[in-house]
Amino acid sequence: MGKIFKGKREKKRQSFKDALTAYGFLSPWIIGFIFFTGGPILLSFILSLTRWNLLGQPRFVGFENYQQLLSGSSDFLNTLKITFLFTLLNVFVTVSASLFLAVLLNFKVRFIGIFQFFYFVPAVMPSVVMTSCFILMFNNQLGIVNYFLSTLGIIGPNWLGNANLVWVVVGIASVFTFSTGQMMLIFNSSLKEVPIELYEAAHLDGANAWHRFKNVTLPSISPILLFNTVVATVNSFNGAFTLLFPLTGGGPGNATKVLSLLIYEKAFKQFDMGTASTLAFIMFIIVAFISILQFKLSDDKVNYG
Amino acid sequence: MSYDSKTVKLLQYGILIFFAILMFFPIFWIFSNSLKTLNGVSEFPPQIFPSEPQWQNYIEVIRKSNALEYLKNSMILIVGNTIGTLLSSSIVAYPLARMEFKGKGVVFGMILATMMVPTVTLVIPQFLLFRTFGWLDSFLPMIVPSFFAYPYNVFLFRQFFKTIPKSIDESAMLDGCSRMQVFTKVIAPLAKPIFITVGVLSTIFWWNELFQPLIFIDSENLKPLTLGALNAFKIEGGQNQTAWNMQMAFAMIMAIPPMILYMFASKHLVTGIKTSGMKD
Repeated sequence: MGKIFKGKREKKRQSFKDALTAYGFLSPWIIGFIFFTGGPILLSFILSLTRWNLLGQPRFVGFENYQQLLSGSSDFLNTLKITFLFTLLNVFVTVSASLFLAVLLNFKVRFIGIFQFFYFVPAVMPSVVMTSCFILMFNNQLGIVNYFLSTLGIIGPNWLGNANLVWVVVGIASVFTFSTGQMMLIFNSSLKEVPIELYEAAHLDGANAWHRFKNVTLPSISPILLFNTVVATVNSFNGAFTLLFPLTGGGPGNATKVLSLLIYEKAFKQFDMGTASTLAFIMFIIVAFISILQFKLSDDKVNYG
Repeated sequence: MSYDSKTVKLLQYGILIFFAILMFFPIFWIFSNSLKTLNGVSEFPPQIFPSEPQWQNYIEVIRKSNALEYLKNSMILIVGNTIGTLLSSSIVAYPLARMEFKGKGVVFGMILATMMVPTVTLVIPQFLLFRTFGWLDSFLPMIVPSFFAYPYNVFLFRQFFKTIPKSIDESAMLDGCSRMQVFTKVIAPLAKPIFITVGVLSTIFWWNELFQPLIFIDSENLKPLTLGALNAFKIEGGQNQTAWNMQMAFAMIMAIPPMILYMFASKHLVTGIKTSGMKD
């Protein structure tokens, strides 16, 4: 950047005019940033220093909300643990499922369009639709999953009522989320850009399908893989609510109550804006930290510029 | 062992079909259960497809719930957001892809950074902001922000714009076009695939979105389909038990539009996404 700024006065005036035009084009984003992103983050922090139930005036309490959350009596640390568990599971499932399906879609066979339909459409189904279906499929008495288990002589468990087994359902449901479909598209087009000569060379060397995948495909798409992992992490923080609210509601007990469910509950059920803002700000810090980490890791491999 | 030998092909078809069934089974199961009677749903062993399909379930769902009202509201959210984000995100992406100016790196870095910020961390201040505007319980809190560019869409537009040769802009400007005219008359028409891609992604997102309506919408007559689907269908006179056949019929109604949309747009979806610019 900035290399073009060396030069004559005429050039300088032209580049100033260009900058003015450019920022004109950028103005919608700048306004949006101030009102809907940057401003709210700042306001979140300010509110996190207060106690407020939406009525009357917020009362300044310093870092009391933070102290309270980190004290032994709160279940905040448990919520954090559950959030990390969900994020790990969700990112792993969505990235591997989308990559796997994208690899399948790159088979050189006919009717690939039809298969793409069958793989892509479930991923774009609304979460409320898929979750209601999974609740039925994993239902204790009516569910087809437990029926299959019963034919094998196994008495099916109460999937959604068990604090451990509920994660199996959450993992499976994660496959059928928008995140998978979105990443499948990106993987699909990036796989098409892997030079065919590389595969041919590997094939001549006698590499089998798995070796070709490991030694040719993965290195070629590793920038995309890293990018998608970042996107999947963000999607997971964003999508946690849409997936878990209808599926488990945070239950059984608090087994799947992730941060976003807790923020919703504190802010819009208990109207405890101070605590909710504290949680939101902590979540922002965590996400920022993870993103910086992931971008640092991918810095030398992915070129966005 | 030829690369294209018949057994390999057969194996590939086998794997493709197996996963197609696995991926599509939940949707098939929704369809199958939507055509069962209430007793049929709980029948053991379950019927894979009901012997007497109950098509009237669909009529009943549309008549008994506010399905058409919900549908109308979902459509308003989709149309508003799609128009908003297509206009604003493409305009913002143009200089990032095709102009040189001071601060470009910083701005693009910030756009990438805000891509990472989860909605839930912003929703409380936004709620308060829209409350002071008097916008709560209306569509405005969900539609207006889309006119101020969504970072992820800006990123997708930028990736696509970068693949169009720069000489096109230069020659158009020599012909007397302003930057805005270059954008609207030259670049935008060439970028049709990415407009379709972003439009489809935005449509899918708002067809799916639950969180924001849950927070901003209160009135029954403003609820979109996702909120409607949460109000489970209960058995009349039953002890709070779900009428699963009705629930599944409602789910099926919600499942069809994304399928139709996909069939029309699939061709463009793949060509719109450009990842080449991301590699060294």
